[in-house]
Amino acid sequence: MVERKIGDKNLRLVREDITEMEVDAFVFDITEDVKLGSGFGAAIQQRGGIVIQKELDEIGGCPTGEAVVTEAGILKADWIIHANGPKFREEDEEGKLRKTVQSALARAEEKGVKRLAFPPMGTGLYQVPLDLCSRVMVKTISDHLAEGGTLEEVLIAAPDNREFDPFKAQIQEGA
Amino acid sequence: MANQAKTHKIKMMEEQLAKKLNRQVVGSLVGCVHCGMCDESCHYVLAFPDDHKMTPSYKADQVRKLFKANHDWTGSVFPWWVGADKVPLSDDDLETLKDIAFGTCTNCRRCTLSCPMGVDTATLNRIMRGLLSHVGVMPEGVRVVSKDQWEIGNQMGVLKEDYIDTIEWMSEELEEDLGHAEATIPMEKKGAKIMYCINPREVKYDPRTIKEAALIFWAAGEDWTMPDEGWDNTNFGLFSGDDGLGGACAKREYEKARELGVDKIVISECGHGFRSTRFEGVNWAGESEPVPMESSVMTMLNYVREGKIKVDPTKNPEKMTFHDSCNNARSGGFFEEPRELLNLVAMDFQEMYPNRAEGFCCTGGGGAMSMSEYTPRRLESAKIKADQIRATGAKVVVTSCHNCVDGLNDLIKHYKLDCEVKQLVNLVANALVLDEVEKPVEEVAVPEEITVKPVAEAEPLAGRKILVVDDEEDVRTFLITVFEDAGAEVISAADGNEAIAMAREHLPDLISLDLSMPGKDGVETFVELRSTAETEEIPVCVVTGHPEFRQVIYDRPVPPPEGYLGKPVDEDKLVAYASHILEHRNEKAN
Ligand code: SF4
Ligand code: SF4
Repeated sequence: MVERKIGDKNLRLVREDITEMEVDAFVFDITEDVKLGSGFGAAIQQRGGIVIQKELDEIGGCPTGEAVVTEAGILKADWIIHANGPKFREEDEEGKLRKTVQSALARAEEKGVKRLAFPPMGTGLYQVPLDLCSRVMVKTISDHLAEGGTLEEVLIAAPDNREFDPFKAQIQEGA
Repeated sequence: MANQAKTHKIKMMEEQLAKKLNRQVVGSLVGCVHCGMCDESCHYVLAFPDDHKMTPSYKADQVRKLFKANHDWTGSVFPWWVGADKVPLSDDDLETLKDIAFGTCTNCRRCTLSCPMGVDTATLNRIMRGLLSHVGVMPEGVRVVSKDQWEIGNQMGVLKEDYIDTIEWMSEELEEDLGHAEATIPMEKKGAKIMYCINPREVKYDPRTIKEAALIFWAAGEDWTMPDEGWDNTNFGLFSGDDGLGGACAKREYEKARELGVDKIVISECGHGFRSTRFEGVNWAGESEPVPMESSVMTMLNYVREGKIKVDPTKNPEKMTFHDSCNNARSGGFFEEPRELLNLVAMDFQEMYPNRAEGFCCTGGGGAMSMSEYTPRRLESAKIKADQIRATGAKVVVTSCHNCVDGLNDLIKHYKLDCEVKQLVNLVANALVLDEVEKPVEEVAVPEEITVKPVAEAEPLAGRKILVVDDEEDVRTFLITVFEDAGAEVISAADGNEAIAMAREHLPDLISLDLSMPGKDGVETFVELRSTAETEEIPVCVVTGHPEFRQVIYDRPVPPPEGYLGKPVDEDKLVAYASHILEHRNEKAN
């Protein structure tokens, strides 16, 4: 098992499909217009029902670095935290990614979430470099868990080795 | 150079370009003498002879300008002389570059053959696509499909449960057809000899090709399996120019093959899937010892050559011609084997000219089918291919590529050709003679001739209410009769507005929807049905034959339809599809 203990809290790496996980909430990397679109967005719509997009339409938008919350329809999770991370090599990728992860964690705390899952934010279509992403995410989440709060466990769901390996290296480095 | 500052996007593109430069690429970048010898090779030039922007050299010059301005001393010192940009590109220019790279070249590589300097324009065009997608500039369809492939693991966003469901469905049909308990589709079988990878189009829109392949494997007594993940042999990285995506897709197949411990991967008939998995993917994924791989055409041909299956060519008597997929033929050197197989399973083969490495693109290559904004230009550029097909007088165009099937079907409809498209797997399955073949389990009686037809239940749609939407009266009447004969209660509408009103009022269990109707067309109707509270959950089976359908699949304004059938519609297929959609919906609801 790949994990890092932070006091009585836990940061763990898993190989799971994030939209099917039994967690209180998971994070979805959304665009500014809060459209679920394809990829994980399509899985959320097809598995969770279209009520999720309806709720997002009412919210209306989400600037880069921010996060908004909806219910998760008939998915196993209770909440989806839609966080707008940096995309397509935009300026200050690192600062924006850190802020996005912090926003998602803050929304989770507001909802009293105990178990939260993140995907590797933006490392596929959105071209965020894996080394930067794994470093920033692991550090930001670890720092947050060290500060206390309702969150007990944060999971990073990386089904492919391409993502799994660099996250594993980062998590074990500081374990 | 200019005083105007470079934008962040342009800087990112330049940084990325530096990573793509190798000897072959630099050779193509500096080698062009603008002689124009390649112009007539390109189907876009032939369709738009007065537009210099369609020439291969113009398209490739877009990358050259970036290269020369930044990586070649001549461009820094004499920009006017070598055609380097004096003024850096602005972000607005990127939209124009997008239209050139994605909308005027299918990366077919035909022009490469005519170039005395060995310039590979398609490689440069792919690099330009990659630079643009790196900074988020790409057609909507490319963005949608790439995201699906990155995150769901296949380019049509087929969820794992839907994939498994379709394979089980085909497996049950095969078992019923053959009346043989062991005639099934193995899933996740460790240590099997073959892992069979397919195009998601087969799962979503043409599952019978999976059953036909399974029938052939069964007849050959093959030890094979399908994987539950890593089954998509297609690769949008080839089209979008994103080597990261290319490597990720290929690696999923390679890793799955190792996990299952198979001897080899067999790639179903998909041109770009074959090229990406067999050749390019190995480099993108940095594989040092890839699992052996072959095209299913080779597998089927070897079965016939080795006497593992017996075929009767008289079962495919129509006049046929063969279309070479650019990726299989020009880029893969795969010319003779498909022809050998075709001659073994069909009676009347007529070559199309030009052919093999010199064949023209079906115009659906390079991911063009996913870019609906360029459809009119694509169809115009298809005239040369249409003329060649017509000249053969063939009733069937055979091809070994799912993408070409769609590209050819579109041009056949657009140019009103009197023929249909088939793949070798269709022909081999149809020609199969099972009576003299050694069966894996001897005691079981197998019908002498196998026809791949679903077993008819008396009234499989009894108790179901179906709304049929089609503007053509004869088609409507046909669909109504087929559904009524299968026991359904049928209501019908002749246009989009009427369909929406009836769907709201009657809440049918299923809607059969034509996409090409006057007034509010089928695509608008579909989007409205899907975005309206009362009708959003009603499953829709699209029954169409038009390119508009691509927009629904690729741009994905709303979740995709549950089923798709091309026209003319086969009666049995229609009922089987409708029953399957309804059963699957029930299972999901439970
Ligand atoms: S690769 Fe094909 S489509 Fe592109 S310029 Fe060359 S001939 Fe034309
Ligand atoms: S690519 Fe080759 S054939 Fe075409 S214009 Fe340039 S040098 Fe001539």
